[in-house]
Amino acid sequence: MCKECGCGETNGNNRLQFIVDGYTDDNAKEVEKALLGLPGVLYVHIHPHEGETTVDYSPKLTKLSAIMKVFDDRGLTANL
Amino acid sequence: MAVTIDVKADILGKNDAVAEELRNLFKEKHVFVLDLMGSPGCGKTTLLEKTMQALKDDINMAVIEGDLFTSKDADRIDRYGVPVVQINTAGGCHLDAPMIKKAIENIDLDKLDLLVIENVGNLVCPAEFDIGEQKRAVVLSITEGDDKPMKYPLMFKLASIVLLNKTDILKFCNFNLDGATEDIKTLNPGVEVLPVSCSLGDGLKPWLDWLREMVRSVK
Ligand SMILES: Nc1nc2c(ncn2[C@@H]2O[C@H](COP(=O)(O)OP(=O)(O)O)[C@@H](O)[C@H]2O)c(=O)[nH]1
Ligand SMILES: [Mg+2]
Repeated sequence: MCKECGCGETNGNNRLQFIVDGYTDDNAKEVEKALLGLPGVLYVHIHPHEGETTVDYSPKLTKLSAIMKVFDDRGLTANL
Repeated sequence: MAVTIDVKADILGKNDAVAEELRNLFKEKHVFVLDLMGSPGCGKTTLLEKTMQALKDDINMAVIEGDLFTSKDADRIDRYGVPVVQINTAGGCHLDAPMIKKAIENIDLDKLDLLVIENVGNLVCPAEFDIGEQKRAVVLSITEGDDKPMKYPLMFKLASIVLLNKTDILKFCNFNLDGATEDIKTLNPGVEVLPVSCSLGDGLKPWLDWLREMVRSVK
């Protein structure tokens, strides 16, 4: 939804926060890039040290399992 | 003369259904329809002017101009002898499918190869609305700053092609072309990103080739 003016559909994005174990500075960058490349993901923010990972995404366009796969593929465990 | 139509209320719930109906109609008529988007002043109309100069003798094109109130852009298009319909949104920040449905009543689709719709200048709202287009193109001028793709991600995620315009003044603008290109490709791995100067006509060949290819693809 367009949050500036309130126009647009109301099927807005979901914001999820994960705690991820095992980040390095390098794989955190990689995860950020891979998540942003998913169709419905609009915003990603990662604190590599705390593992705190914020993902703003549209459940209509991207399944949660596709997001989890980005962590799995790199041997990371993410908890909601 | 440009035809002007006024549109006020948009019917939100109906938008996607109308957009799908339009897309089917365009397919049936073999018209390639492009939604051209970007901020106010990024160079959309200048790009269209250069595009018309290059293509109008080989390709039957028409333009729909979205504008809040004026017909300034439609007047610029009209000078090239290309059919143009002006949609005035009466202050509305984006075009929607019902507006396009109304506008095409004034266009002979049977004779058309390419319809370009210049959306209202805005990096936010137009991205939310399917207007029946086959593809979206976004113009980002380097005067806007290289942080804009990540700040306005939806616009860049849904584009098939992004033009980074005004490269003629790159040295004054502190704009990282490689960085912006990488950000756009991070958001949208399949997208084409082209640095161009619409004023000078520099770098436009891949854009014109892409348009020709798209027009061929719907024949
Ligand atoms: N320096 C420079 N100026 C440009 C270029 N393209 C467009 N402009 C200027 O930017 C301003 C806005 O252009 P316009 O095409 O009306 O942008 P629109 O609002 O996106 O349709 C005009 O003054 C254009 O002359 C370019 O490649 N280089
Ligand atoms: Mg314009």
